[in-house]
Amino acid sequence: MRKSMFAAVALAALLGPAAAQAQTAGKRVQVTGEIVDTWCAVTGIMFGLGTAHHQCAVWCAVGGIPVAIRDKDGQFYMVLKIEDEDISVASPKIVKIQSHEVTVDGELFERDGVKYLLVDKVADDKGIVNLTHDEHGVVPFGE
Amino acid sequence: MRGSRTLCLVLTLLGPTGAPVAARGAEPWNIPHEKPVTLKGRVVDALCHLKGRCAPDCGAGKRQLGLVLANGAFRLAAKSNIDFAGAIPDLIGYCGREIEADGLLIENPAITLFFVQGVRVDPQSPFIPADRFRSQWEARHGKADEWWRADPEANRLISENGPFGIRGLAPKPRP
Repeated sequence: MRKSMFAAVALAALLGPAAAQAQTAGKRVQVTGEIVDTWCAVTGIMFGLGTAHHQCAVWCAVGGIPVAIRDKDGQFYMVLKIEDEDISVASPKIVKIQSHEVTVDGELFERDGVKYLLVDKVADDKGIVNLTHDEHGVVPFGE
Repeated sequence: MRGSRTLCLVLTLLGPTGAPVAARGAEPWNIPHEKPVTLKGRVVDALCHLKGRCAPDCGAGKRQLGLVLANGAFRLAAKSNIDFAGAIPDLIGYCGREIEADGLLIENPAITLFFVQGVRVDPQSPFIPADRFRSQWEARHGKADEWWRADPEANRLISENGPFGIRGLAPKPRP
């Protein structure tokens, strides 16, 4: 009893004030859409969708730009966790499925204009189906 | 007259409690819905803040970070001053601390993004440019004009399936 109390106190000290925050539950959702590089897809600085933008989406994901799922209505769900990975900066799992059309089950938190998604399970992965390269080539730089 | 102008200026800079104030240094990018702002808030790990699932040192650079403002609003930092790179290296050293971040708030109806261009702790000090990604990357991989074309992990993934992400599908040769 004493040992477990000591362990809890030690863990709290290690994590800092954040550890005191209680776990909260989001809304259970299933989302279907394309895994996108949030920056390019939202800002329109460069065409940010599908095969044409795949290379850039990999660069941005590796560079730590947040990744989102864009659904058919153009809504963005920013991914903060995927399956057993709590990593959301250059997450190997997310980087690997850039531009894929996926259906995921997860937990949704909406805050200040952003839909944040904690993905519990990738229920379906159709691979890359948004073929935009014929029209746009390689974006950006053309190579 | 002069006094009321000064008062006006001070009130404009302060803004309502916790609200972003107009930034002086942020470079405009002409992105639809962009607004130059200086956000003042505490650096937190997004997963910890939203879900309560916390990790030591805000995830030690492996989790997305943002600022919790005085009015309770949460602004995730989506990008830094370095092309194709996020702002985690610029914020991680301030985990749990109050800072000011200068940049562009892009309030797109589909999603709000914050593009960080500079950070500082002391409001009297100049902003430190949000470009730490480059020095950290170069410490790991050496100098490169375009980090994204020299990154081993990105190159490994792109060489596996090609720039379009589909094996066997290659760009047309340039005329």
